[in-house]
Amino acid sequence: MASKACTLRLAPAATRGRLRSLLLTLPIAVWSLLMFFHPGTHTDPKSRIAATLTALFMTALFFMMMRTGKTYRWRRWFFVSLGLLFPIGFIYNLVLVRGTMGIPVEEMIAGRTPFCFLPIPLLILPAALTRTLVFPGSIAASSHGIASMVGLWLALTLVLGKGWCAYACFFGGIEEGMAAIPKRARIRKIDPRWRLLPWAVLLAMVLLSLALFEPAYCMWLCPFKAVTEYITARNTIGLIQNGIFILLFLALVIVLPLATKKRTQCSFFCPFGAFQSIFNKISVFEVKIDRTRCKSCGVCQNACPNLSLSKESIAQGETLLSCMKCGACVDACPQQAAVWHIKGTELAWKPERARLMFLYAAWAVAVMFGGSIIAQGLVTILHFIV
Amino acid sequence: MAAFVLFSEALALGLASGPACIAACGPVLVPSLLTEQAGFKPHARFLSVFLGARLAGYLLFAAAAWEVGTLVSLPQASRVLLMGGVDVLLAGVLLWYAWSARHLCGSSCASSKLVQIGAAKDRRMAGAAALGLLTGLSLCPPFVAAGVRAAEQGSMTQALLFFVFFFLGTSVWFIPFIGIGCVARNQAVMTVARMTMALIALYYLSLGIAMLMGRKAYGF
Repeated sequence: MASKACTLRLAPAATRGRLRSLLLTLPIAVWSLLMFFHPGTHTDPKSRIAATLTALFMTALFFMMMRTGKTYRWRRWFFVSLGLLFPIGFIYNLVLVRGTMGIPVEEMIAGRTPFCFLPIPLLILPAALTRTLVFPGSIAASSHGIASMVGLWLALTLVLGKGWCAYACFFGGIEEGMAAIPKRARIRKIDPRWRLLPWAVLLAMVLLSLALFEPAYCMWLCPFKAVTEYITARNTIGLIQNGIFILLFLALVIVLPLATKKRTQCSFFCPFGAFQSIFNKISVFEVKIDRTRCKSCGVCQNACPNLSLSKESIAQGETLLSCMKCGACVDACPQQAAVWHIKGTELAWKPERARLMFLYAAWAVAVMFGGSIIAQGLVTILHFIV
Repeated sequence: MAAFVLFSEALALGLASGPACIAACGPVLVPSLLTEQAGFKPHARFLSVFLGARLAGYLLFAAAAWEVGTLVSLPQASRVLLMGGVDVLLAGVLLWYAWSARHLCGSSCASSKLVQIGAAKDRRMAGAAALGLLTGLSLCPPFVAAGVRAAEQGSMTQALLFFVFFFLGTSVWFIPFIGIGCVARNQAVMTVARMTMALIALYYLSLGIAMLMGRKAYGF
């Protein structure tokens, strides 16, 4: 069973006709047009080209999801593109504005860095005890800014739960791309206790953020500093910090995904992912295992990029709390026992309808956040080649 | 009257510094308490030992502060070295603690032992004491302020009493930590707590090493 782990087996899925798929794609096409072509945008040809390509790309992927009945493989195209294009657009803008990727630590503490959602859980204790936001982003200066961003995040989270990590996060794509490269995993046996590490990172970072009164994760442990902005090293501590960022990036985002075919940073490290898992409890959408169909073959468990299925959870007909609703298990199950589900309904109640409803919400978010980042990355590339 | 004013000042300083103290001790205290059995009694015992050792750290500091005039007058390099040494020791104790807690499991095991360092029964509170002492030696700003006032006193006894009242003021803020006893314990919680301790130990270790190497934090 374990040897089958590493290649994603695709079960026959319910396919749709072209016309029906087109009709189902229409709302997303309209949403893409609204997002990328609202009045006053794209005054230069490069932006128009990038916006057109992105709108077509996002719409085409959704069409293929509707046509083939598969989710994971099409979502992965989007997600990997997002992961690869985000640093390109980000670094270009950073260098344009600041002239360097390096940000002095005092500017980070003063909140003069671009917005990032990863430190959101770190805000809670300092804000509760001192009414101070230790947020390393420019929106910290405005209570309206932080309130609207947190409000938007909360609204999306209530719908998507940890689906955020598969449809909105602009960091996970690089490791998902890395995990897709090898045909087989070199490391197949992973101690399940590693799944608990993100909770430990979350707890440690929340406590240290309170103790240091700074976003400790951004200062010490964020692997993505290696491909976004780093801390200007002016002494030994700065060198240690940047060394940690680079080592964590190489280990968790490059080497381990290649060796395990899993999203190792998300599965074993990301504190925001752990925090986001809590909201899977209240999100209306979930993936369930239909025990009447399940043959306990373990294909879904092996296909899951996030180790969100265990023998015990499958026996209970559920995914673990960390499930990010990427659809890999649903696509892989040869018995179609892994199904999309809306809480409060019967398990057998129209799983494809549940999938559709979830995907409309998730893809709308993907277009809104990811699409704009992809377009920005494309503009940067066009800037260099045209 | 003068003594009353002085000790009221120490108490007020302690009360006002409480949030800074729980913020500073939280990273050490929370995961350590999470490796305890569920329930108020084990937590109260752990916290008592922790705070008792912290008081010992305070008194040690008060005696030293009075003896040398004030630790604030120490050269910057010496203070950094002192802090670096405390950080490295704290990291060592935390790592030892996290490692030794592997023998314990959650409340489902019905273990009557508290988390211990090493296997010996008589050393079971040594971890709490070591952590309390080392966090008590932390040179946080309110603590240094108290050190300055203690150093100004006419006798060492007064300096020590000043720190006792300062300690009482800060300790009030630690009482809510007993509430962690309400968190249900299982193997997952214990593992997360141990991993958290190890991560926090690594933080203190890297900070301590950087300080011992004689560098100033962030170039200040």
